[in-house]
Amino acid sequence: MRRSRIGLASVGLFAVAGLTLAGCAAADEDTATDAADTTEESVVTGGETFEVYALLPQGNDQAYGTTYLPAMEAKATELGINLTITNSEYDGDKQASECEVAVAAQPDGIILWPAIADTIRPCLEAAQAAGIPVWVTNADVNPEDTELTYGYSGTDSYGQGAASAEIMCEIVDGADVGIIQINGVTGNSVATLRGNGFSETIAAQCPNVTILAEQPGDWVPDKSQIAASEMLTSVGIENVQGIYAADDSMIKGGIDALKARGLDPADFFITSIGGTFLGNPLVVSGELDGTIFQSSSWDGTNAVIGMHSVLTGEITSDDERVTLYMPNPKVTAANASDPEVAPEW
Amino acid sequence: MSQTSTQTMQIGLRETTFVGKLRQRIARRTEGRAVALLAVVMVVVSFTQPLVFTAYPVSLGRIALIGLVALGLTAVILMGELDLSVASTLAVSGVVMALIPDVWMGIIVALGVGLVIGLINGFFVAVVGINSFIATLGMLFALRGLAFILSDEAPVRITNTDAGIAFGLPLLGPLTPRVLIFILAVIALQIFVSRVKAGREFFAVGGNRQAAYDAGIPVKRRIFTGFMISGFVASLAGVINTLERTAADPRAGQTVLLASFAAAIIGGNYLKGGRGSIVGTLIGATALGVLQVAFTLSGVQVPVQEIFIGLILLLAVTTDPANLRALMGSIRSVLQGRLKSPS
Repeated sequence: MRRSRIGLASVGLFAVAGLTLAGCAAADEDTATDAADTTEESVVTGGETFEVYALLPQGNDQAYGTTYLPAMEAKATELGINLTITNSEYDGDKQASECEVAVAAQPDGIILWPAIADTIRPCLEAAQAAGIPVWVTNADVNPEDTELTYGYSGTDSYGQGAASAEIMCEIVDGADVGIIQINGVTGNSVATLRGNGFSETIAAQCPNVTILAEQPGDWVPDKSQIAASEMLTSVGIENVQGIYAADDSMIKGGIDALKARGLDPADFFITSIGGTFLGNPLVVSGELDGTIFQSSSWDGTNAVIGMHSVLTGEITSDDERVTLYMPNPKVTAANASDPEVAPEW
Repeated sequence: MSQTSTQTMQIGLRETTFVGKLRQRIARRTEGRAVALLAVVMVVVSFTQPLVFTAYPVSLGRIALIGLVALGLTAVILMGELDLSVASTLAVSGVVMALIPDVWMGIIVALGVGLVIGLINGFFVAVVGINSFIATLGMLFALRGLAFILSDEAPVRITNTDAGIAFGLPLLGPLTPRVLIFILAVIALQIFVSRVKAGREFFAVGGNRQAAYDAGIPVKRRIFTGFMISGFVASLAGVINTLERTAADPRAGQTVLLASFAAAIIGGNYLKGGRGSIVGTLIGATALGVLQVAFTLSGVQVPVQEIFIGLILLLAVTTDPANLRALMGSIRSVLQGRLKSPS
């Protein structure tokens, strides 16, 4: 009886091991296939192949990542870069550990999307000590850490918040209004920068707009709807004439909160950031006054282009650090259907 | 002086040969499945990602990252309790440490915070009588909120970042302070639960609480001790993370909780208490850590990693002798029923 138990346990364990082996082997096969493809392409283009680790805080688990990754992988294949991609799920400790693994693997370069900008310096120092160049994507490192990286490509998160505020100032047109603000995940650098960009621009350019309350919506529509509903109750619905949210999925929650009270969103001043499949139709329907376009494919593609420029010596450590901001056009009813701002995510 | 004779009842046969004693010793251990899993993982990884072993300081760092919190959890699990607040304890302790300008004072206060949190958890469970799942779930939320308030909702950098970066460098050969502290914690806790009376009583409290009461074991005190160990170790992990990253993140530890539970369960610790070991948790954390490093090196995406870890967890739970016996019994009764049915 005991032998049969041990036997069954062993068979089970070997089954999982088989799956693990198959998974790892499949991953290796993919890499090998990619490498083979890349080599073929390199022969055609006469270029080199490079091994690069992309340390990201999200992947296919989030809407932005699902369109960021394919663009990144396609450009990497085109430029002869073999990517090993990690996803720390916005856990700074996990990303630090992944960075240690990446440095130990001695790749040609590291593309870094910091999960928590304040905790990334040891990783950058380790990479520098190992002679591995680092390119930053999507969310920049802190100013004091920029010297440890070759460049940055991605959004100007503060600028996005400021641009959304500019739309708000424009549509309010000098009237005294009160608004509520829905922020991203507390502590997240993009959420903080967008929030600061919005509130500081409002204070500077249209002090007639008063931010009555602000709550995190954690980038999620459902939570944002609850947050908006609570804020409407606490400050009094009669005092609120507008809503700002740090992204389109959260403004959807805010708009739904208004609808749930039988209010027409078109009667309110509403702005957001994203230019997404969720946001642009709201602009077209008139429920959202404006949003800020953000291209996930631009983001993924330029991360690889930047890294490639470093690896081929176009950008060296002697050069001044490169900063490449993504164009963030405003999306309003006037241009919401234009191909230049067609949603990607 | 009258002579007294002692009669003892012997349950089962007493093995006298070396092989018999060894067999009995192995039969009592709970780490068998963890050892088997570790062996399989090591073999598979040595063929697919040998870098995991050549870059062993990195792998050790990952094992220590998962394992340290899991060690504290084991102390609680042995008594049949749960501590869901460990991740939030880690975050609060880190923030408290970063807020205090003096590094040493910060470390002492942060560790003290961990002990106090353990004390409060113990109070709710042992004195108030709240189920540990509910009590520590409440603490999980309360402490997370406290971490956000104390940190003003943003990461807090430590004053002396150079000291933090130096802390992350190898201290003894290739071993960093994190790994050394983890090794010391394993040794200390193993001695505690196997050699110290209070530690050995954890098994009795978890195995049969009423019997433990009847035997005169101070059950409430043991529960307090278990939660204080868990809180202290979680805060120690928070201190180490904060020093190594040079900043405290109020959201820290979000992925640590489940990984730590997984390590403890894979290590053969019985969630209802009474069975398990620190060595098992070490083996579980090693298997999980090695697997995670191999996944990172292979670029296997998180959802696929989660599938594998989920399968391993399910396997670890279903191959528990008690569960396996129940499963075999069910299969046998179904088969017997079919054979008897006059179809």
